Amino acid sequence: MAEPLVDIVARSIYISLAAALIAFTFGALISLLMLVTPRRLSEMLIGVFDALVGAPTVVVGLIVYMLIYPGGPLGFLKLLYTPTALVVSQALVALPIVVTLLYRYFEQLWSDVKELVLSLGAPAGKVYPLILRESPPALIAVYLIAFSRAIGALGAVMVVGGGIEGLTSVMTTAIALEVLLGNYEYALALGGILVMLTVGLSIVARAIGGLVWR
Amino acid sequence: MEVRLEDVWFSYDGRRYVLKSINMEIKGGGLHVVMGPNGSGKTTLLKILSLIYKPTRGSVIVDGRSYWDLGPAERDSIRQHIVYVHDKPILLRGDVWYNVSLGLKLRGFNNYDYLEELIKRYGISELLKSSSRSLSAGQRRLVSIIRVLALKPRVLVLDEPFNHLDSSRVKILLEDIIAMAESSLVVIATHYVVRELRDNAVKMYELVEGSLRG
Repeated sequence: MAEPLVDIVARSIYISLAAALIAFTFGALISLLMLVTPRRLSEMLIGVFDALVGAPTVVVGLIVYMLIYPGGPLGFLKLLYTPTALVVSQALVALPIVVTLLYRYFEQLWSDVKELVLSLGAPAGKVYPLILRESPPALIAVYLIAFSRAIGALGAVMVVGGGIEGLTSVMTTAIALEVLLGNYEYALALGGILVMLTVGLSIVARAIGGLVWR
Repeated sequence: MEVRLEDVWFSYDGRRYVLKSINMEIKGGGLHVVMGPNGSGKTTLLKILSLIYKPTRGSVIVDGRSYWDLGPAERDSIRQHIVYVHDKPILLRGDVWYNVSLGLKLRGFNNYDYLEELIKRYGISELLKSSSRSLSAGQRRLVSIIRVLALKPRVLVLDEPFNHLDSSRVKILLEDIIAMAESSLVVIATHYVVRELRDNAVKMYELVEGSLRG
């Protein structure tokens, strides 16, 4: 008997929400740090992150696996085949897109707001409150994109989570497993929910982003 | 107020100079007109005059002091007298009222009487509650012009202010520019040199491939 659909969906959502939050937090910090590093270095780094956006998620899973398997450097943490391992691997999958989107956004926003403040003869310190005022819709959009990327990852979560029923089984791994077992209706139902979630979030993120990206 | 550029050079990429050995002096009041084809460096020159860009080489002397050698507080104090209208208007998220009153708010002014007078004069009263994203190019320009005129600056720098404006608004703006030039310094870069500007200019400059011909 397959695990109740609602349990898998709920587990997938909370794991991906946590992963997106971690990716977003570290991504925001990295992108802000890159803004204050010399331009040549930050352009080189953003090139690396751009390339990593398309990296196969199974390779990300493999790297995490090599770190946390019992003989690995972080093996003592006993994270392999736990929800925490899924969170970490999904966060790493989502991190590059968060960095590239936030870096480009902050770079443009900083330049525009700074020029605006200076052009109005206002003190340079007024740049910061205006940036805080302008940012929230873009930040929400980037978080949703990170969530969408995390919840759709298959390879990474399969390698480090194993798709254990009741523990690390999420929508992507459950779909793969149920297809192998011939439970096509169940797999299709999960696939439908996953598509609705990812496509729906992409539409919402695009709508919010359309309000802020110039 | 006196602003003097001494042997100013500017490069965006450290290789190609878009301004070459610019020497220019504006002081007291009056209208100064900078002409030149697209890509001649007019916008860069105006941003240096407006104390937004720091020259790659050379000095910007304001009232006898080298501006970029001053501390942040002294720079803020000087810059409050110089305002600049971008060729491509920068508007923030929010309605037209927020954007048009932004200069006064950032500068801590509480009297909106003159701003309201300008809003009526330029005929944008009905737009005040509209989103800044919904404005046409001409309306965006009007908002950016009105918000700096409301500051009654000692030095007003305008970059292609007539672009996208209809003839009735061009006429009003020309009247305001000429009236302001009686008591303030007005520097304007435009390819739209009408008789009114030519007749009222105290000096006209031509910028060709980054070099000034006074």
